[in-house]
Amino acid sequence: MFHTVQNKMYHVEILPPKQDTEQLEADLESFSKKYNRVINSGYCACITDNAMGLLGFQGSEIIDVMGLDVNPEKVVIHLNTFHTKEDLHNILDTCKSRGIKYLLIISGDGSDRLPRLKPEDVNAMDVESVTSVELLKYIKDCCPDDFVLGVAFNPYEPPNHEFEKMQRKIDAGASFIITQPIVEKNDRVDELLKKYPHIPVIVDAWMNKKLQILSEAVGYKIPDDETFDPVVTLKKLHRDYPQCGFYLSLLSFKTQFDLLPGIWP
Amino acid sequence: MRLRQEYEKAEYKNIWVVAEILSGKVQPVTHELIGAARPLADQRNSQVWVVLMGSGVTSQAGSLFTFGADKVIIVDDERLSGFVDELESKVLVRLIEKYKPETVICGATTRGRALIPRVAVMTNCGLTADCTGLGIDPENGDLLQTRPAFGGNIMATIRCPSHRPQMSTVRPRVMKAPEPDLNRTGETIQEAVEDSDTAKIKRIIEIFHSDETVVNLADARIIISGGRGMKGPAGFDMLRKLAAKVGGAVGASRAAVDAGWIPYAHQVGQTGQTVQTKVYIACAISGQIQHLVGMQSCDLIIAIDKNPDTPMMQMADIAVQGDVFEIVPEIIAQIPKL
Amino acid sequence: MRIVVCVKQVPATNDARIDPETKRIVREGVKAILNPFDTYAVEEAVLLRNRFGGEVIVISMGPEKALASLREAISVGADRAILLSNRAFGGSDTWATSYVLARAIQKIGQVDLVICGKQAVDGDTAQVGPGIAAHLDWLQATNVNHVEDVTDRDMKVTRMHEDGYDVCELAFPAVLTVVKGINIPRVPTLRGRLASLKSEIPVWGPADIGTDIDKIGLEGSPTRVVKTEPPKPRSTATKKISGAAVDCAIELVRELRLRSIL
Repeated sequence: MFHTVQNKMYHVEILPPKQDTEQLEADLESFSKKYNRVINSGYCACITDNAMGLLGFQGSEIIDVMGLDVNPEKVVIHLNTFHTKEDLHNILDTCKSRGIKYLLIISGDGSDRLPRLKPEDVNAMDVESVTSVELLKYIKDCCPDDFVLGVAFNPYEPPNHEFEKMQRKIDAGASFIITQPIVEKNDRVDELLKKYPHIPVIVDAWMNKKLQILSEAVGYKIPDDETFDPVVTLKKLHRDYPQCGFYLSLLSFKTQFDLLPGIWP
Repeated sequence: MRLRQEYEKAEYKNIWVVAEILSGKVQPVTHELIGAARPLADQRNSQVWVVLMGSGVTSQAGSLFTFGADKVIIVDDERLSGFVDELESKVLVRLIEKYKPETVICGATTRGRALIPRVAVMTNCGLTADCTGLGIDPENGDLLQTRPAFGGNIMATIRCPSHRPQMSTVRPRVMKAPEPDLNRTGETIQEAVEDSDTAKIKRIIEIFHSDETVVNLADARIIISGGRGMKGPAGFDMLRKLAAKVGGAVGASRAAVDAGWIPYAHQVGQTGQTVQTKVYIACAISGQIQHLVGMQSCDLIIAIDKNPDTPMMQMADIAVQGDVFEIVPEIIAQIPKL
Repeated sequence: MRIVVCVKQVPATNDARIDPETKRIVREGVKAILNPFDTYAVEEAVLLRNRFGGEVIVISMGPEKALASLREAISVGADRAILLSNRAFGGSDTWATSYVLARAIQKIGQVDLVICGKQAVDGDTAQVGPGIAAHLDWLQATNVNHVEDVTDRDMKVTRMHEDGYDVCELAFPAVLTVVKGINIPRVPTLRGRLASLKSEIPVWGPADIGTDIDKIGLEGSPTRVVKTEPPKPRSTATKKISGAAVDCAIELVRELRLRSIL
C-alpha cells in the first residue's frame, strides 16, 4: 500500500448503487463511469460495503457483473462483518477470481436487514460477537496468500480502547490502516503514526461540504456556523501528513474530481 | 350469513363474547368485553352470552355472570386444551348457526386474531380486527366498530350492513372491566364438540409457559421500554428492576432486540407488538416511526433520554432529560417498597 | 414441496415527524415497500425450498405497481410470481381478499404450504392468513417463529402467544403466518435483482381464477368503512424535567403520584 503514497494515488471512495434504487441500470452505468474515471486517472477505487448500514450492492459483484477491468494495485474493496458466511465466501471467491487484492476489513454498521457473521462462522469460539479482528484472522487463515488486508482507525473512540484494538488488528495480520474521516490535524492520528511507522497509514479526508453528516457518523463535534471548504482542508492535511496516503470520503465527481490533479504536493 | 332483506336481521339476537382462555384460565380481557357488551345488549333489548370453550373450564362459568353475562355456553372438552384453531372454529361455527347471535366479539389476542377470521370466513360474516371502540346504530342495529389503522394514524369506523352476525376482535385493556356483582347469576348451556376429524386439525405436542418468554405487553398497565441507549443486556436488568417495583412489563425497541439484548417477544413497534397501556416509559429510545406507531396510543408517555430533541422526547407527555443510567436507579430508590 | 407466499405492497413509514400541535406522527413520502413481515415469509419459503426442493411462488393482490414487490421477492430467491390485479378486485376487505388469494392458490394447484407475514403494517388486521386457510379448509398456524421436522406429510411449528409458546404438528396442506425472528431475510444480490427485473410476471383477473362475482371487490366485502378520521390529539404540552438525576427522579415520581399511577 506504500505505492499509493509514493505514486500520489488518491483512494477515491465510490458508493455502490443502493438496494432500493428505482433505476438500477442507470446507477450501474454511473458507477462504472466513476470507477473507470478513477482508474484511468491513476487513482485507486475504494468501494464501500453497506456504509452506515444503508443497503447497497456488493462492490466485487458489481465489478464482476459489469465486467470492469481490475488492476490489482488500484482497487480496494471494503468488507464488513454484516454478512452470512455464504455471502462472505462468495465475496472472497469473486475477489480472487477477479484479481482483487486489497480488502479493507471493518466491523461495519448493521441494520435490521443485515445478518451478522456469527463467531462459529469465522472459527472464533472465544468471542461473543465478530469484529474486524476475527474477520481478519479468518481471512488470513482461509486465504493466506490471496489478499492484502487493511483495517480502520477511529480517532473519535476512547484512545486506550482504540489503540488496544489496533494492536490486535496488527497482530492478526493487518498491513495497512485507513483512518476515519478527519478535517484537521488530529492528535490521535499523530500518535498512530508514531506507534506504527512501518505500516502505511491512509488519512481519510472528508470531502463533503456538509460537516453535519460527519458529525452524525462519528460524533465529531462542530460549531453550528462553521463554514467548511473540503479542498482547502485537503491541501492543509497534505501539509500536516506528508508521509500518508489519502482517502477521499464522499468526493463529488461533478465538482471536485477535476480539481484533484496538482493538489497533492 | 349474507342477508337478502333488512327484516332478516331480526332473526339474529344477543351479543356473544368468546371467552379468552390462557393456561386453562379465563383472562381479564373476557371481563372487559362483557363490560363492553352489556350496554350494547341493553340498547338492543337483548342479552350478553359468553362462549366458554376449553378443557376443564366449567367451574369458571359462575364468575362470568358476576361481570354481567346472562348466559354462558360451556364447551368443556379435553380436545380443547391448548389452542386448536381448526376445532375451535368448527365448534363456534356450529353454535353460531344454532343460536344466531347478532354480534360476536372476542379479545384481539393471539388466539382471537387467529380464530375469529377463520370463523368469519366460514360463516360468511364481516369482521373488524383490533377494535378500540364499539357502538350501535339505533336505526338498524349495526355495530359501529372503531379501529386504528396505519399504526394508529387513522381511526376508521366500520360496519357490516348486510351480514349477521357481525364480528369484532377488541384490543385488551381498552374497555373497562366492570366491578363484579357477586349476587348475579345466570343460565348455563352445555354444548359438545361434535365433529373432530383429526386429519383436519393440528396436534399440539407441547405447551411452554417459561418465564423467559412470558411478556404479556398487551395486558400490562405500565411498560418500561428500552432502546439502543441501554447499551446492553445489563441495561435491561435495570429496567426489569423498575418494572418489578411498579408492577410493569419490560418492552424494547427494535434496535435493542436486533442487538440481541432482549428477546423479540418484548419488541414494541411495527414489527413487534402494538401496545396501548396506561403508562409507557421510554428509556433511551430515540423514537423511530416504526416504534412510535406501536405505542403512540398509550395514555401517558414518559421519555427519559440525554438528547432532548428526539422524536420520542417531543411526543412524550413528560420528557426527562438526563442519563437513563443515573435517573432510573434514582426512580427505583424513590418508589417506596410496595 | 410447492410453497405459495402471499405478499402485500404497503406504504413505507420511514419518513415521519411529530406534529407539535397534536403530538401525532405526520407521514411524509409515499414510497411503497414489500410489507416487512412478508420478507420473513419469503425467506422461510426459500429456505424450505433450498432444503427440500420444490418451488416458491409469490402472489399478491393489488395494483400494477405491486409488481415491484413481487420482483423484490424474486430477487431473493422466489422462483416465480403472479399478480392478481383487476378493477373488479378493488375495494375488497379481508374476507374478499382472502377469497381471491385462496382461489389463486387453488388455480396454481398441488400447493403444500402457504406462508404469509403475520400481518400487513398498513391495515394491521392479521386476518388474511387465517382467512385463506378457512376458504381452503386447510390447517393453520399463526405467529410462527420456528419450523422443524419437515416431512412430505407434515411439519412441526412453534407458535408464539401471550403466555409463552407451543409446538404443534401440522399436516399439509396448511397455512402459516410468520413473525420476525423466524429467520433473517437475505439481501438481494445484484445478479438476483437483475434477474428479477427480467422475470415475466403474469397478471391474473377474476376469469383466470374463477371467482364468483358477488364474492370479490366491494360487493363481496361484508364490511364497510363508514368514516375515517385522525385520532384524538395527544395532550399538547410536554412537561420537561431536567437537572440532577435525583431531582429528576423525585419530580417524575411526584408527577406519577399526582396522576394516581403510583
